[in-house]
Amino acid sequence: MRYVRLILFVLIVLVVMAVPLALVLARSYFLAPTAQPVKAQPIQFPHSVHVQAVGLDCTYCHRNATTSAQATLPPLELCMQCHKIIPTQGRPELEKLVAAFQQGQPILWNKVHQLPDHSHFVHSVHLSFGFQCSTCHGDVGAMGKPGVKQVRDLRMGDCITCHQQNGARTDCSVCHY
Amino acid sequence: MRRRHFLKVAATSATGAVLFAGCGRIGDGVPESEFKIAQPVFNTNDWVYGRDAWFATAAPPDQGGYGLIVRVFEGRAKKVDGNPDFPGIHGKSDARAQALVQELYHPDRLSGARRATSRGSGQFQTIPWDSALQEVAQILREVGGEHAVLITGRLNASQAAIVAAFRKATGIRHAVLEPDEFVVLRTAIRRLFGVSTLPIPDLANARFLLNFSADFLHGWIAPVALAHAYGEFRQGKPGQRGLYYHVGPRLSGTAANADRWFPIIPGSEGLVALAIAQVLSTEGKAPQDRLDPYLTALGLDVTRLASDYAPERVAPATGLSAEQIRELAHALVEHQPAVVIAGTSAAAATNGLFNLVATFGLNWILGSVNQPGGLLLNPEPPLPDLRVPDDAILSLRGWTELFEQIRSGTISTVLVYRANPVYALPSASGAREALQAAKHVVSFSPFLDETTTLADLVLPDQAWLEQWGLSVPDPGPGFAAVAIQQPVVAPFLDARAFGDVLLDLLRLLGQDQPWSTQEQATKALALQLRSLGRGSVTATNDKEFLVTLQARGGWWDEQSRATGSAPSTTAVQPREPAFAGEQNQFPYVLHPYPLPSLGYGELAHLPWLQGLPEPISTNVWQTWIEVSQATADELRLHTGDLVRVLTPQGVAELPVYVNPATQPGIIAIPFGQGHTAYTRYAEGRGVNPATLVAPETEPDTGTFAWAATRCRIEKTGRRARLARFEGMVPAFQLEEFPIVRVMAPKA
Repeated sequence: MRYVRLILFVLIVLVVMAVPLALVLARSYFLAPTAQPVKAQPIQFPHSVHVQAVGLDCTYCHRNATTSAQATLPPLELCMQCHKIIPTQGRPELEKLVAAFQQGQPILWNKVHQLPDHSHFVHSVHLSFGFQCSTCHGDVGAMGKPGVKQVRDLRMGDCITCHQQNGARTDCSVCHY
Repeated sequence: MRRRHFLKVAATSATGAVLFAGCGRIGDGVPESEFKIAQPVFNTNDWVYGRDAWFATAAPPDQGGYGLIVRVFEGRAKKVDGNPDFPGIHGKSDARAQALVQELYHPDRLSGARRATSRGSGQFQTIPWDSALQEVAQILREVGGEHAVLITGRLNASQAAIVAAFRKATGIRHAVLEPDEFVVLRTAIRRLFGVSTLPIPDLANARFLLNFSADFLHGWIAPVALAHAYGEFRQGKPGQRGLYYHVGPRLSGTAANADRWFPIIPGSEGLVALAIAQVLSTEGKAPQDRLDPYLTALGLDVTRLASDYAPERVAPATGLSAEQIRELAHALVEHQPAVVIAGTSAAAATNGLFNLVATFGLNWILGSVNQPGGLLLNPEPPLPDLRVPDDAILSLRGWTELFEQIRSGTISTVLVYRANPVYALPSASGAREALQAAKHVVSFSPFLDETTTLADLVLPDQAWLEQWGLSVPDPGPGFAAVAIQQPVVAPFLDARAFGDVLLDLLRLLGQDQPWSTQEQATKALALQLRSLGRGSVTATNDKEFLVTLQARGGWWDEQSRATGSAPSTTAVQPREPAFAGEQNQFPYVLHPYPLPSLGYGELAHLPWLQGLPEPISTNVWQTWIEVSQATADELRLHTGDLVRVLTPQGVAELPVYVNPATQPGIIAIPFGQGHTAYTRYAEGRGVNPATLVAPETEPDTGTFAWAATRCRIEKTGRRARLARFEGMVPAFQLEEFPIVRVMAPKA
């Protein structure tokens, strides 16, 4: 009987410890960057129309991705090179774009992929190594609406794991300089 | 406790803790605008190539005002560094400058003008800027400038010009709050060398440095320039390593770098210096023409120096032996060029002015003033408008008188800009009571600090990286230099530059505005530099001058140097230090010191700096006391024990850090914490040593002698965890791998 009580006690302790552990894991899961919804975007931009239907490459708009650290958003004047001849009637999202250009107003997007300022991420190095944009950003070209969540964790553990798997350096100064 | 109770408590506390930790989301408190990215209408410069842009700007005046560059991409300031073109700093910066981006993106920065729901409640409601400006203008119109005071921290040069214009137009009084140790230092330098700017030791060319207590590598007057010069001093000349002796009561991070540390009784720096002068004089190593200015400054003659300040006579009061003092004197003449500096706690004793005059004065004896490897004096700012008036800088005595005038109603209106007298000054100054008694209090602080909490109206200033300005580094690099400050990002909160607000107030008061904005003032003053027809920036027209100035980050003229003058009257009489508290009741000396990261607490709102370890103890985020091993053994104390620190002024409970390098008889405590407001990162953390030390003053200058209080400590029997790096993780052997890859040159 004495041992039964002891075993029962140990089991209860384990259950008690499991509850907070489960909560910690749940918090980590639900509050991970990939679980954070991004606020609604100002324009429901359809990447799929531009990539799949028109056949544009990512770098047509994000022109610096293969040559520089930053992929960069295209300026509105680049959008208007095509959209000045594409009718806007019946396309409310397109009307927003033209109106912003005509009024000289930049469009404020909500960032989907967040990296802290103290880490450097160089797009060109990763692309020249052979990675696709979709490795980190997901299949954006198939998205009919702007993305609403990060598709990868993109915290330090994620970066280091990928570097280790691909034989890249993992010392601090690779990203923090 | 019964098993059932144990299980209940364990389950409840663990679940509660986790649920509590789970309340909140990643990024809580971060302004929504930080997660925005602007798609511009036309291609901007930094987007053409997708590379970061670097903009030149300047450090805040209380950090030295030197040139910085900031890495910016997509409208966001990413990283601050030193401007490689700017003289003296060689592209270096320090943690305080790096943390400027945290001031910019601080989640508790104030946005929008606001009015207090009730004075001192800390509750404010947002009001339109126009209403706030009208209200301040109406207050000034009603009370008149003569019944108002503008309290500021140290201003940059263009802000000083705007304040001077505001002062002239309204008649308002201007009072500058800066740490009292610098008030003593400025007084000593003015009386000793005849200049109102701070000098800089030419460490890069010196062979010997004798430093009395100044924490010059981690704080003091110019840590960035001096840390770089120190590297040159030690390793810049092949085969010739500079020799550094440190004389001071505490082994600071700076002292730990010295070849030898001479621990002394607090406040005895001046006596040691006098004994050194005595040795040099009696041994015939001090020519009479060099000795004369020294003796004049201290009101001494050779006979009195020889009789009263012989090493044997002085030694017991200093904690050194006569032989050690002779050793110091001999090192000064054997390793030329040599330079002597002093500061930090040496200036915060009741004989602080004497300490600084006696120590800096040794440079006269050594012939080091304005010589390569010696003490370089700095010239006045190149334009009179760029000068911050010395008479506006108040000592503790001056503040006490000012607050008495406010309490009595002589001054009814207080305007405060980036100064926090309620926190920085001891309670005996009456700052809090004065602000509570004032009829109107208006703050221009970008953060809700202790002083701003007592304001009726808050008109928040922009962050430092959003503003225009001209800055004259003090100390300069030994010649005239001006840094230009420009916005590196577009302001994203509803805040206005302090200079813009003052100029708007002038307009509302119907006064002439010399400039319409702080930007215009900056550019107009910069163009006056062009009219001097000299300096590093040459241009054929004004636009080219301004563009070149902004691109290079400043203007300097290596030919414009200060000459200085030897003292013709007595600067100060020799004086021994005094301490508040009877030795039998309070056996230890409480030795506060400014932290390299948080300074005197003005930077406690920046989490990067909170998390930066103190160089000796590696402690972070809190206040502790450093206790010597001997004291710890005597009282059976261990690191982490909570003790009660009692002084004639107050009591506080603090954790102990046992430091074998601390002198027995000294209890060291860092400044920086103890805020009751000032954002989520500073509030309710640690203890402000200004509440523990007695309000003793230096009699000549009236400055706060914060290193002049005795204390005792009592065990509480409780313990607290100290957050620190040292000893927290057991040492372990890393796997063998090449830390530095050595590449053989190709044949």
